Amino acid sequence: MVGVFASLKWHLVTSRLRAASGAKKVWMAIGFAVLGILLLLIAFGLGTLRLVPMDAVPVMVTLLTLQLVGWMLTPLVAFGVDETVDPQRFALLPLRPQTLQVGLLVTSLIGYLPLANIIVLLGVAVALSVPWSLLPVALACMVVQLLLCVVLSRAASTSMSALMSSRRGRDLGMAVGLGVFVLYMLFVVFVNNPTASSSANGNAIRGGVLGVAEILQWTPPGALATLPALVDAGQWGRAALAAVIALAGLGLAWWWWAAALRRNLTTVPSSTEGSAPSHGAEGTAVAVGVIGTMKVVAGRDRLLAWRDPMRRMPWLMVIILTIAWPFVVVRGSGAIFAVALGALLCGAQAGNQYGVEGSGLWLHLQTVTDRMRARGEVLGHALVAIVPGVLIVLVGIAVQAIAHDDVAQVPAAVGVCLAALLGAVAVSCYMSAAMPYAQPQSRKSMFASSVPGQKGRTAAASFGFLLGGIVVALPAVICLVLSLLVAPVWGWVALVVGPLVGVLALLISVRLTADKFLVSAPEIFEIVRAGDRV
Amino acid sequence: MGNPNTVGDEPLPLATTLTPQPPLTPGALPAYPGAQELAAATRGQALVLRGLTKAFGPRVAVDHIDLDVPVGSFFGLVGPNGAGKTTTLSMVTGLLRPDSGRVLVSGVDVWTDPAAAKARMGVLPDGLRLFERLSGPELLSYLGRLRGMPLEVVKQRSAELIRVLDLDDAGNKLVADYSTGMRKKITLAAALLHSPALLLLDEPLEAVDPVSARIIRTVLTQYTHAGGTVVFSSHVMALVEGLCTHVAVMGGGRIIAAGEIAAVRGDAASLDDAFMHLVGAPEMQEGGLSWLGSSQA
Repeated sequence: MVGVFASLKWHLVTSRLRAASGAKKVWMAIGFAVLGILLLLIAFGLGTLRLVPMDAVPVMVTLLTLQLVGWMLTPLVAFGVDETVDPQRFALLPLRPQTLQVGLLVTSLIGYLPLANIIVLLGVAVALSVPWSLLPVALACMVVQLLLCVVLSRAASTSMSALMSSRRGRDLGMAVGLGVFVLYMLFVVFVNNPTASSSANGNAIRGGVLGVAEILQWTPPGALATLPALVDAGQWGRAALAAVIALAGLGLAWWWWAAALRRNLTTVPSSTEGSAPSHGAEGTAVAVGVIGTMKVVAGRDRLLAWRDPMRRMPWLMVIILTIAWPFVVVRGSGAIFAVALGALLCGAQAGNQYGVEGSGLWLHLQTVTDRMRARGEVLGHALVAIVPGVLIVLVGIAVQAIAHDDVAQVPAAVGVCLAALLGAVAVSCYMSAAMPYAQPQSRKSMFASSVPGQKGRTAAASFGFLLGGIVVALPAVICLVLSLLVAPVWGWVALVVGPLVGVLALLISVRLTADKFLVSAPEIFEIVRAGDRV
Repeated sequence: MGNPNTVGDEPLPLATTLTPQPPLTPGALPAYPGAQELAAATRGQALVLRGLTKAFGPRVAVDHIDLDVPVGSFFGLVGPNGAGKTTTLSMVTGLLRPDSGRVLVSGVDVWTDPAAAKARMGVLPDGLRLFERLSGPELLSYLGRLRGMPLEVVKQRSAELIRVLDLDDAGNKLVADYSTGMRKKITLAAALLHSPALLLLDEPLEAVDPVSARIIRTVLTQYTHAGGTVVFSSHVMALVEGLCTHVAVMGGGRIIAAGEIAAVRGDAASLDDAFMHLVGAPEMQEGGLSWLGSSQA
């Protein structure tokens, strides 16, 4: 039976290669070769850490822990990555749970991702084998680490598969995605903290890693990374404890997976009943004139921004990036201008406005049929990006000004940021009609932002706003430079020029976008409805 | 298949004369009268199609079809999978641009004056999403207000539609949590909200529970009695035969037969039999699959 599972997974893994045409096969082979070389270089780089054994162990403790966390979270934030993740697919086959579990373990070990992990783990084993006689111990530890990653990942995904089959569960997955992002920010701040360790000789990152590793060495992946060094040092008691921690972790994960599998195969998936009701927010505006239409559309968008995690989560990320991120990248004066990136991202929230609903766009094709409504619709979508965007940007600037005593730079910063925001909104609006793309509607992953066949289009549309925002902000940026080099009064000029140019760009964009939509609505619909399939 | 316009040996007394149209060269204007002349010539028709064509690459999905749908009729569009029903309805509703041909809704050309044409039609497409995170009442309110309808009218009509279509119990539940039947009903409510002259429904009763199906049928019948015109596609011949006054049979992207139900049925025992004959469906042969039920391996 294990052979059948292995053969099934092998067929799944190689199916794309078999289905590809001659030229595509060559490109895929080149891609795999490049990836393979890259992975070997990474493994080699990790292996060279054996030259500094004092640092190798703490770095590997952190690395192996991150690897395990990555394996655990991937199914939650990117559910559907692997077709064999959902054990419900096997529910109707006459298989005992133990047979199924062993079979699924084998399938989990076959694939590109496990292979990449094995290559990286070989590099880790080399780094930890000081002297070389420890290599068998280190390799055994890496085998356990790989099994730990796979088993824990499967246990987590099986436990969550019922939850993830419901809409609310997938919404939760989005929230977890945001949690991962926040954890990453905290991790960067913590690792990059110059006061983390006094033994770090002033090297902030090294000190941070040492501090983190001290804690993580008591976890299963941390224990596996420290075990070869403990054996080498003859600390047999500590080594035995590390082995127990690692094997107990693996055993617990196996038991969790078995229990989750049994439960999953004998219960029906959760239903969507019990979703939060809408509270009947129907709005009162009527689409009479451009402004009336704008109010109707903006009212709906505002409602959905609260209700739909696909719209809400990007805003939460933008808030973090606008207010907290400048503290991470710029230390001291000047961080106020790093808010401009947040301003651009706020503006990008007006992007792909025709693609966000998937085939639901047909409702607008039936109702938004004249120039007045088309312009009102674009303005409505823009307004829902501009109003919160301005608030977030102003808060971000105020926080930086107060934290770094940079009040003198506030007028110029506001001018540049508002120009960047409005410019990004203007370009995002136009790109929505000129280069629409399908957004996956299944909500299986917050990181699944494109559908097959539209990846290039998605990337071009997603990054177009950056260029557009920068171009529109250029006059304000020139004023800012003059305020720093010539006279502070240019900062006030930036405050006037920036928003003025931004509003002008927005007005032009609204007219062009509306006309483009009216001319090519069926073609836009044909592109964006592909999002329903993913 | 033989002559597609016959049932048995008897010629079909078609209400619509089917004359093959010459193929258009790509980019050429269709050889039909302008919208004004065509509208004048087809007064009394709720929907008029002339030379409507759509190809996806080398595959012609809809092949120069002509169709007249009289005002007040209950018009069924039937055909096997891939016959071109959904493609035709998509072009009629302005969701898919035709390669050539003309579509008039109440005398207005859909592709030259979409604003006026779409104000005259209500649409229920098959398999398309709605604004999923709105509740039913919110969806109706949004679409009504977006059409520029006065707030009080929107409120009064949507409340009545929700009551008649038995969606009261859904309350403020999000459309994302609706069952198939509820989705069809709320889409029908959205299609009726602005009181259009023509309803275009793609598989309105597909996968709908019997209770919802009966409610939808009743509402549609009332609508036609009040002077409205319904065009709907379906696979279920018994439903079309019981509900419709007219029918068009599509196959291979063409209209094979069209007219009043009795005329299209001809001497056949049922519309189903007539349909099978018209589309040339093979009968299931006796024998084969003899192993079924004999072993479990």
